[in-house]
Amino acid sequence: MSAVSVRRLGRTGLGLVSLGLPLAMFVLLSARAPDFFGLQNIANVNSQITALLIVALGQLVVALIGGIDISVGSVVSLTSVLLVLVDPALAVPAALGAACAIGLANGIGVAFFNVHPLIMTLATMTFVQGLALLFVSSAGGTAPAAVVMLARASFGGFPAAFFWCVLAIGVVSIILYKSRFGLRVFAIGANAQSAALSGAGVSGPRIACYILCSLAGAVAGIYLTGRIATGDPTLGQAFGLDSVTAIALGGVQLSGGVGSVAGAVLGTITLGLIANGMNLLGVSPFFHAVVTGCLLLGAISLQRRKVIGV
Amino acid sequence: MTGAIVKESAASPHWLKMVGARLANLPISYIGTAALLVGAGLARPALLQPFLLLLILRQAAPLGIAVIGQSLCIRLLSLDLSFGGVAMAVSYVLTSGYLPFSEPVLIALCLLLGLAVGAINAFFIAHLRASSVIVTLAMVLILGGVVTAFSQLRSPGESPELLRYIGQARIGILPVTVLVWAAALIPMALFLRLSVFGRYVDAIGANPRAAWASGIPYIRAIYAAHILSSLFAVLSAFLLVGFVGFGSLSIGADLALNSLAAVILGGVTFGSGKGGMLGPAAAAFMLMFSFNLLTSFGLGEPGKEMAQGAIIALAAIAYSARSARQWA
Repeated sequence: MSAVSVRRLGRTGLGLVSLGLPLAMFVLLSARAPDFFGLQNIANVNSQITALLIVALGQLVVALIGGIDISVGSVVSLTSVLLVLVDPALAVPAALGAACAIGLANGIGVAFFNVHPLIMTLATMTFVQGLALLFVSSAGGTAPAAVVMLARASFGGFPAAFFWCVLAIGVVSIILYKSRFGLRVFAIGANAQSAALSGAGVSGPRIACYILCSLAGAVAGIYLTGRIATGDPTLGQAFGLDSVTAIALGGVQLSGGVGSVAGAVLGTITLGLIANGMNLLGVSPFFHAVVTGCLLLGAISLQRRKVIGV
Repeated sequence: MTGAIVKESAASPHWLKMVGARLANLPISYIGTAALLVGAGLARPALLQPFLLLLILRQAAPLGIAVIGQSLCIRLLSLDLSFGGVAMAVSYVLTSGYLPFSEPVLIALCLLLGLAVGAINAFFIAHLRASSVIVTLAMVLILGGVVTAFSQLRSPGESPELLRYIGQARIGILPVTVLVWAAALIPMALFLRLSVFGRYVDAIGANPRAAWASGIPYIRAIYAAHILSSLFAVLSAFLLVGFVGFGSLSIGADLALNSLAAVILGGVTFGSGKGGMLGPAAAAFMLMFSFNLLTSFGLGEPGKEMAQGAIIALAAIAYSARSARQWA
């Protein structure tokens, strides 16, 4: 059973909060902060939210099947470490390979052994974070030149961050809306038992979702490492929970079956605008977390679920 | 006659099988603790000295107290990840000197804070059916943000005299913290085993929809569990602040995740309606003992994190495989 009234919101989960919140932030900021619509500020917001957007899109895929992946932040950190440790020619394939292995471990634990996704990904989060710190104890090293170029260059007047966002949104949209796999993801999330009885394989797509989420973490890690041009074993620490916050603000239901790419994008933009707006308005950065927490509670208050559960 | 003889001779293996099945159903924490103690006896016998064991027990006490609340929430198909935020706030209220009150008043204020945090968590989870993960994480963001912002004005300082005494003193050879842990654990375990509330917890955990339809007070049970959980988190933070001797913003940061690991190792699983209080308590000791053992092997923080992750994953997989066998 889906969490909120599907009749009311549809399977996109887009409602008053997910659409109204970023809009309200835009109106508020354009009225209160004159620099908000400056090209430089828009580019800043874009580059600040790119990595979170990529991770949130991965988290969306997992949330649609009723899962959650809090290990994705550790994948970002491990990617950053691998990029500076491994030979530059093999660095990106190594990072993507490691992410596939982590996603596979999560997927097997959840799909075959029926471990609660929160527990399984908590275990891999701790393990992978330890592994990243074992490789490198603090930030250092030099990222491959190609990765730095891909993250920092600009094409046709648009910064690279813009293209990373467009590409990520495009790929995830095609996977979810234009493929048989996407259809199965929504079916499993809405009711796994019905999906299985209708002949759709359940375990395979579940594992694939966790692999996709870890890959999203690796791509975000590649982008971020390119931006800062060095490796950092704690680079992704906040991403696990921030990505859950972003999709929750975007109307995605953690119990599965309800959510959309547009929701994940809007949720991420809302988080980005909160941070940017508070900077522009001169509010202490320490209150970012407070405002985000309050908004999160506000968002879930307006989206009452029917199910009882984690 | 012949039939009776056959029956009698078959009774013994059956009885043995029952004992075997009973042993196999014990929480992993019992078997794990025993295995760790044997392993330490062979590789690091020094760790088994009573003095050191009591020290490890004292280290495990704050986690053990937090685990009581966490296991209660998990048995009700909920979760409390707000321990870190609560511990941070308690540490700041007690040690910053920002609030000009006497020690008992500050302690009472912290308990009130725990009560409020638990009630707010429960409100969102019970009335709005919100995901407990999101609600309690939002609570961490709010509490952590407020405390971090305030700590720019005034940083945490020394902990109150009373809590330092509780955290560091001993009665005979027994640390007072261990007595506090026992004083929280034993009544709670008995209460859940003997009271009607305990039966409600089991029923809701096994099938919340069926429990709801049967008229079991789900909302009241969630309020009770989350308020108790936050109060235990406050008590746990008292012990940590007293034990360390001063406040810190990172105090109790790993309490939520470690408590989750301990609850799983202790045999409490989501949605099974099963689980006791002693298994998770043994798991709290097991985790602390394993951290000490790994340190004695020269394993640094990263190695410990990896071992912790592997332990959680293996324990969760073992439980799932075991329950799948039982249902087959």
